[in-house]
Formats: sequence, C-alpha cells, structure tokens
Amino acid sequence: MTRRTSGLIGTVALALVSLLGVGPEAAEAQDWRTVNLSRQDDGIADAQVEVTYGAGRFTVGTAGHGLLYDMQLHYDADHFEPVADWDGRRLELGVEGRGRNIRLGNGRDQGELQLGLARGVPMDLTLEFGAVQADLDLGGLQLTGLDLSTGASESTLDVSEPNPTRMQRAVFEVGAADFTARRLGNLHAQTIEVSAGVGSLTLWLNGEWEQDASVSVKMGLGSLELRVPEGLGLRLNKESFLTSLDADGLEKRGDSYYSADWDEAERRVTVDLNAAFGGVEVSWVR
Amino acid sequence: MLMSMDSRVVAGLTLLAGTLLLPATQAGPTLEAQERSILSKEVAVGRAEAALGLEFRDGERLDIELRESSVFIDGDVVGAYSPGDALDEAFRALLGRAVALDDGPLTEMLVEWSPPADLPEDRQLLAGRIDRSLETALTAEEAVEEAAEATAPDQGAPERIRVEGGNEGRLIAALLSQANRLGLLDEALAQVDEVEIHVGDDVMVEAGRTVEGALLVVEADARIAGTVTGDVIVVDGTLELLNGGSVEGDVRLADGEFVQAGGSLSGEVRRLTDEDRVTFGADDAPADLRDRIRDELREEVRNEVRRSVDVDSGFDLGSGILAPFRGVFRALGGILETLVGVLLTGLIGVGLVAFAPGNLDTVAQTARRSPGRAWMVGMAGTFLLLPVYVLGIVALAISIVGIPVLLAWVPLFPLAVMAAAVLGYVAVARNVGEWLAESDFRFTDWIRPSNAVYTVFGGLLGLSAFFLVSEALHILPFSGFFRGLLTFAGVVATLGAGLVGFGSVLLTRAGRRPEVYPMDPEEAWRQAVDPDLESELDLGDDPSSHAGAGSEGVYRD
Repeated sequence: MTRRTSGLIGTVALALVSLLGVGPEAAEAQDWRTVNLSRQDDGIADAQVEVTYGAGRFTVGTAGHGLLYDMQLHYDADHFEPVADWDGRRLELGVEGRGRNIRLGNGRDQGELQLGLARGVPMDLTLEFGAVQADLDLGGLQLTGLDLSTGASESTLDVSEPNPTRMQRAVFEVGAADFTARRLGNLHAQTIEVSAGVGSLTLWLNGEWEQDASVSVKMGLGSLELRVPEGLGLRLNKESFLTSLDADGLEKRGDSYYSADWDEAERRVTVDLNAAFGGVEVSWVR
Repeated sequence: MLMSMDSRVVAGLTLLAGTLLLPATQAGPTLEAQERSILSKEVAVGRAEAALGLEFRDGERLDIELRESSVFIDGDVVGAYSPGDALDEAFRALLGRAVALDDGPLTEMLVEWSPPADLPEDRQLLAGRIDRSLETALTAEEAVEEAAEATAPDQGAPERIRVEGGNEGRLIAALLSQANRLGLLDEALAQVDEVEIHVGDDVMVEAGRTVEGALLVVEADARIAGTVTGDVIVVDGTLELLNGGSVEGDVRLADGEFVQAGGSLSGEVRRLTDEDRVTFGADDAPADLRDRIRDELREEVRNEVRRSVDVDSGFDLGSGILAPFRGVFRALGGILETLVGVLLTGLIGVGLVAFAPGNLDTVAQTARRSPGRAWMVGMAGTFLLLPVYVLGIVALAISIVGIPVLLAWVPLFPLAVMAAAVLGYVAVARNVGEWLAESDFRFTDWIRPSNAVYTVFGGLLGLSAFFLVSEALHILPFSGFFRGLLTFAGVVATLGAGLVGFGSVLLTRAGRRPEVYPMDPEEAWRQAVDPDLESELDLGDDPSSHAGAGSEGVYRD
C-alpha cells in the first residue's frame, strides 16, 4: 500500500470516527490546550514539509519574517499531542493521536490549527487532513511540490500570490468533501491532478499561468465546476459514465471541447475529466 | 560528592540559601551581557498547565513548566504552586507576551521579566527561581560567570556545599519550601561527618559500588544494592535496601519509608516522625492496627456479598418479611424476562410472515431438509464475518470510488448480519413449532399448524423451554446445579438453532434462491403410486412443504 493511500485511509478513518463520535470516553471532560510553536528558518536551503491534522479548523498562511514555521494549535490533550519535528531536511507538523479512543469536535469546542510557513524557503509541501474546515492560502510560499489529501472536509485553497518557483506536479486527493481551489494558475504547476470521491469540486483556473498546463480530474460521485478566466485557452477531454456537461462557450471538435480562443490563447490548459456520476459545469469569469 | 560537615549543617544550609537565592532575586546578572539566540519556542497553555520551552542555537534547551501543582525547570521539581494562584497568573501573563515574540525581542523580554512584587513570600522565591533560570539560560557564558561571581559567598561564609544529581539551589528550595523539615533534618544529620547528598533525583547505589560516609537523599528515593559505609538519611522519600546491599550505619528516616528487600543493615532504623511509616511487613504492624484492618476487610467483604446478591436478584428484598418469597419473585422475574424476549422475537417473526412469507418458507425448508449442511455453513459464515467486514472496509477505503460505499458498508453490514440471524432463527423456530404442533404433547395442542404465527410463537417458546424451566426452578432451594444444566441446554439449543438458521439464510441468499435437490425418479414414482406413504410425509398444512414433487422422498436429506 502506498504511503499516500495509507494516508488517505488514515484521514478517512479519522473523519469517520469523528463523525460517528465513537468512544466510551466521549462523556469525559476534555483537556483543551493551546500551544504556540515557532522556529527560525536559520538559512535553510529547502525543506520537505508534512502537515497532518485530524479534525477541527485548519488554516495555512505565511509565517513572520525569519521564521520557518509559526504554529498555533488548540487541541484536546487527552487524545492528541502536537508534533513539530525538524531534522534539518524534513519538517513534520500537526497533531497525532495518543492511541486511545478518539473523539473529535462535538460542536461544543473544536480543535484548531493555524499554521504559518516560511515565505522564502523552497518547500515540497504535503498536507493531510481529515474532517476539517480548512482555509488554506498558499500564496507567497515557494512551493516545489504540493500534495494535498483530505477526508471529509470543507476546504478552500487559495493561491493568492504567484509561486516564486515552478513545480512539476500538484496533487489533490479529496475523499468526501466540498473542495474549492482558487487561482490555481498561481501555483505554476505543470500538471495538476485532482482525485475526488464524493462531493462538490470547484476549481478556479485563474491566476498567472506561466506555462501551458494540464489538469486531470478523476471524480466518483458529485459535481465539478470549472471556472475559467476569459483569455485562457481551455480544452476539455471528457470520459464519463453518467455525467452531464454544461459547457457554454465550448465547442466540440472530435472528442474534445475547446474554448473559442483556444488557437489564439497565450496560455492553454487541458482538462482531462474522468467522472462516474454527477455533473460538470464550465463557467467563464472575467 | 563528599564533604565535611558538623552537626550544625542545617544552619550552614540556611546560610547557603541566603548566599544563593537572595542575591539572585535581587540583583541577577548584568543585562549588558550578550544574549543567546533562540532557535525555537514552544508556549503551551491549558487548564492545568502552562509551559515555556526554548531551544537555543547551540543546542541547549530551557523548559519551565507549571503543571500538576509543581513547578518544573528542565524536568526537575523546584517547588509547588496552586493552579490559579498569583505565581500561576504571573507566569501565564509572561507566556501571553512570549507568544507574540520571537528570537531577539523574545530574549530581551524574557531577560527583563521580573516577578510581580506583590507575590506572597513563598511564591516570590519560586518566581525568583524562574527569573534566574531565564536569565541564566538567555545570557551568554560571560554573563553567567559574572552573575556567579556576584553571588559567590564571602571568605568567611560557610563552605559551599556541592550536591550530586542536582544543584544547591534545588536543595535550598526543597528545604525552604518545607521549613518544618529542617528540624528533622537537623536530628537526622546529628553526628554525621561525611555525607553525599542527592536532592530531587532518585539515587541508585549499584552492586559493587561503595559510598564512603553517609548518604543523604532529599525528596527522592534511594535503592541500595552496593555498600554505604555510614548512615543513610532519607527525607521525604523511600529507601529500598536490595538483595546484596549493605548499610553499615543506621537508617534515619525523616518523613520517609524503608523497605528491606534483602540486604543487610548493621545499625538500626530511626524514625524521625511521629507517624510510623517504616514498613517491614505485616508481622511488625501493631496488633490493634491488624485487628482494625481485618475488621475493615470483613466489613468490605460483607458489603460486597450483599451488593452482589442485590444485583443478581434485581430486587433489594433484604431480610424483611418478603425474604422467604425471594425465590418466587426471582423465578417470576426470570420467566417474565424470557417471555418478553420470546414476544419481541415473535413480533419480528410475525412481520416476516406478513411481509416476506416466501423468504421465510425457503429458509425454513432448507433448515428442515439440510440441517447439517446449514449448520456447517452457519459455523463457517460466523467465523468469516469479522474478516469479511474488515477486508471490505480496507478494500473500499483504498479506492476513491469505494469511499461512498464504505460509508454504507460500515453500519449496514452488521445490520444485515443481525437481520440474517433473526430471519434464520425465526425460520427454525417455525419448524420447531410445526413439529410441536404435530407431536403428541397435549400442552402443544394450542399450536395450529396451518397458521405460521402460531408455529413461530410455539417454536420460540419451545426453544426457550430450557430457560423457562431453569428460571422456574428458582422457586426451589438448592436447585443451582439443575438450573445450570438447563441453562446450558438452552444455550446449546439457541446456538444450534441460530447457526442452522443463519446457514440456511446464507445458502438461500436470504430466502431468495431455493435450494434445489436432485430428483430420484424411482423414489418419486414409488411415492406417487403408494397412497399409504403420504401419511409418513412431512407435509403439514404449510403450502410450501408441498413444493416440488410434493413429497419428502424427492429431496436429498
């Protein structure tokens, strides 16, 4: 089993457990704790950053000047403990369970992780989270790679500022979630891969595309909304079972759908869609 | 570390407290000294905890924690506090300022921090200790040395004590925090010339090691497998003399305990507290104490027995006028309980008869005609339930598309298994009911074989007969053995019926696929031409039993 697969299973399991509220300790009082952790970047050349978070609110942004990370964590110390390990190359952040019965957010109080990451440090970023409400702004981070896995979440990803460097591949694996990604062009990724189980996906293809790119979307059950800025050349290859397509402004040539300005567009994005059940809508934004 | 000491060592220690602590809290190192650079910071605040952790660029760390009513500096207890007291508030306020700062500004703020002046005296000492730790850790070596020089004792002051496993400050803090022990310590150290002191850290004298002179352990435990040539003095701790260990002097305990697990003690044990906390074994306990403990144990046992009887019966009949009828009540309660179970299961059976008569017929027929095969399939199915459930979860979880199915699989699989078990059990009960209806038992005449509801209820009662009789036997005294036998028989009957039923459900796919048996043409013909044979057939009035060739002979048994 690949690491990513096992990670996804873990996040899904975490989400399931949290949704079911399993555990005889559910009635116990919780020991909520708030921790602030930070570390100087200390001239680090690059870093492999892995962030894991089970449930609660999750925000990612940029850290203050000179810091490799700045993490504020509100968590139930009875069941979790914070993780902040740096070995000179790899940075692990987040929380991990204490191995007892898990009980997460019950509406009364909710865990929260606010994470700031260094702006100037090239990093290969891996984000794994379960049943969270995530608000991720990766704008300004120097990303050489991005791998995001989420179980049952309501997540919004924004790349508010262009990535100062280029990345080969950005991967999003979404279990059962509402997932919105904005300004994907700012990632400067050559390939963006999205796998979704069930839920609602909204992908904004705006931002500054530095190169032609391909976006691959695999979807089980749900809806996909592609928001495409005018001026961006779009080709849509659709391979689906029972999936409707609402694509005003696209013309069909052969097996593919093309935007009207595909041939003249300065930047072109090809979307390969593989969906089982659901609906796909393409809309244009200025 | 060995040192010379006169009998007035306590006075020396007290003076030492003055030389170490007071100058530190009042003066501290000069702030012009070079500050250390903080590499990482950890601030943790919880309901019962407040902690600051600093990592410096040279790899050193400083950890200050207020938790479990103790103040820890680098993992060592330096004093006590109460959650929410002035010291706790002051430290949390410091952490509140630390959260927003990093590196230089953080260092500067921490170095400049001073405890609030309005702290109570004992908390002021602890806060001073925290302040001094921060300043020592956050300033460079030059500053530390400068501070040390500033706080060094004068020539005329008592000789400075070096303490193993800790530092002088810890000893002083430990002693000053419990001033009432100073007198005990004075007595404990009487006539001791040389002493090795351990404060706050557990000490182990390994086999083969010899401690020359006395050994003083304060607020810690000592384990001795080697040799101590002098006395062993324990203040607020436990001394364990292990096999092979030897103490050539006395054991002196100031609010401490002594456990002799082998080893030899040349001197005597001197207890320096009013409370007798020396434990040699139960035989040395005072006679009245032993009696008291024995009485308490007896009373506890009585209470436990009383509670178990009450719980077992479900009634607290005590020893009142109803006590003679306890058996009757218990029997009636047990019978009622069993009948309620029969009623609930029977209602489910009625539902099956009404809404899934075909499935029930098919399952019942399979259970009747192939009980051995059904039992084996039921056994195998029962063993495979958990692996199938887990493997299903794993298989669905590793595929993105399988995740929505997984959400249904997790709760629905156990429900489906329960439904299958109930369906099978009711089907077998119906068969039992039919058999009872056709039997010669007079008390089963009420069961109408043509009515499936009657046969289901009759069968359920039949399967529960062992339990009912077992419960009824509560009326009779000394019937526990027979009740146990009957209960065992009931469990066997229920399990057997359940497994046969479950296997039949599996074989017939919940009654949707009837088991087809190869027809023996010769036997069928023989039965067709022999009208007398009909009376031997298991036809009953159930239409389903006339299925196929209309006789049992064509089915494989």
